[in-house]
Amino acid sequence: MNWLQIFVTVVTLGSIFGVVTLSLNLQYARGGMINFGIVAYFAVGAYAYAIFTQPAPQGLDQYKFGFGWPWPVALVAAATAALLFAAITGWPTLRLRGEYLALTTFAFAEVFHSFLLNERRIGNGTVGLANVKRPISDWGPIEEKYVFAGAAALLMIATLLVFRRLLRSPYGRALDAIRDDEVAALAAGKSVQRMRRQVFLISAIPIGAAGGLYAMFTTLAQPSLFTAEVTFIIWIALVLGGERSVYGAVAGTFGLIFFEEVVRTWPFETVRSAQIAASVEHIVTGLLFIAVLRYQPFDRIAERMKATR
Amino acid sequence: MNNTASTPTAEPPLLEASAISKRFAGLRAVGGEDGLSFAVSRGSFVGLIGPNGAGKSTTFNLISGVLASDSGAVTFDGHDITNAASDTIAELGIGRTFQTPRAFESLSVLDNVVSGATSPGERLRAAFGRAWRTHESVTVDAAKRTLDRVGLTGRADDLVSDLSGGELRMLEVARQLVRNPVMLLLDEPTSGVDPVLQKRLAALLAELHREGMTLVVVEHNLHFLLALAEHILVLTHGELLTEGPPTEIRTDAAVISAYLGDDYAA
Repeated sequence: MNWLQIFVTVVTLGSIFGVVTLSLNLQYARGGMINFGIVAYFAVGAYAYAIFTQPAPQGLDQYKFGFGWPWPVALVAAATAALLFAAITGWPTLRLRGEYLALTTFAFAEVFHSFLLNERRIGNGTVGLANVKRPISDWGPIEEKYVFAGAAALLMIATLLVFRRLLRSPYGRALDAIRDDEVAALAAGKSVQRMRRQVFLISAIPIGAAGGLYAMFTTLAQPSLFTAEVTFIIWIALVLGGERSVYGAVAGTFGLIFFEEVVRTWPFETVRSAQIAASVEHIVTGLLFIAVLRYQPFDRIAERMKATR
Repeated sequence: MNNTASTPTAEPPLLEASAISKRFAGLRAVGGEDGLSFAVSRGSFVGLIGPNGAGKSTTFNLISGVLASDSGAVTFDGHDITNAASDTIAELGIGRTFQTPRAFESLSVLDNVVSGATSPGERLRAAFGRAWRTHESVTVDAAKRTLDRVGLTGRADDLVSDLSGGELRMLEVARQLVRNPVMLLLDEPTSGVDPVLQKRLAALLAELHREGMTLVVVEHNLHFLLALAEHILVLTHGELLTEGPPTEIRTDAAVISAYLGDDYAA
């Protein structure tokens, strides 16, 4: 077992998905919006990054768009694309409540996934966009994987700090009020529609950037990477970590990614045992999920911290 | 408002409902053939009474924008608020409580009251700044004073779930008072409230009335209401049965019949 390698991967992927969990925490735990299509915003970021950095099509390339922009610009474009996608999908859906919003966002993500599978000119169909540009191959004395881990961690910390600041202001309190009782919040003059829309839009920005980073890290933007499974992993991470605090969202994601990485890199003697381990992983994740829901350990920790503050 | 030119009678009413109506699944909830019309003058204390299902709470919901009316118009303080959004109406100065008390469960008692006030920090850009902090400390002080006023002294740090039904009602009143509304609509404020708190509530309402706040109160406790209000509107089947000062309403045969049944009518 190469623990250092596991550590670096967990920091990189944990931070990238941690950004998505943080955004879901803002949308759901504070904004009261159930988004079951969060993977779509992540995918938009990844594809946007790939499209804006890849060279113009030539030869056998089926895709029609490639701009060859430098990576920092493309990363901003990824965040902007996710924001625009949120504006387009949020406009008809945000009036819906609870499970209706959940179903609609899930449907949107499925439609988008199907679009990616079938549309060849934009995302190159099932093959997707490979060889996504990595910024610079030579970082001098620092290995590239550390640079990625650092960049992902930076994005996550920045997201965490910005969201935490927002949620500790009267804005966060108003969001809590809206989630607890919309009618009473309206009677207290809270602009429910405006705030819900804003939360939906601003949480899409870091998701898009994380998607760009993910494409950069994997050098791929492929439909198979952005299935509904990603959405559910993020949801599991949020529930595992406890939805009450921003730290819970991060801890849950890191825990889940660490667990997956250990199972993935464990030096199994036979292929058969590796296969069994892969299935057991899902079972254990499920059991863990049930246990956390039953005992709510993180909510208790958060409450204890609140009480001592 | 020009207060030199007009006598009190010439002043237009603060709130005016003209021919408003609301149907639920085809059944009339508020407003008969011609709709429901009434006016509330500035600074008055109006009681709204009537048997269950008379449309009192629905009337409140139509005024405060919780429900959209099928027809008619509502004006408040010179603004047309017909079918306006609840938050817009609240910001114009209409405060209200609900028949079943509503609270923000995840917030402390104090934060429930503080969130009644509109803070500049509720704007996205301002939330990242520091300017709202001054406003916040003023609001927190005001919220604490309001908690004292409604008899919830010492409960500031409690969770909402620790409050009794009566205390929840008072919390809701406090959350609206901190907004300093021009007009306050109270829906059955004494229901579930013990006699001691009721007495305190009566004193508070009298005080608010003296301070010039316009009050409209829906109440089944007529003993409580008739002692406080100066004008009573009586609703039955969504229509205005009669209106007048409490002394007249107390002896009105039609009111007694509507409320207590024909056996009691003279």
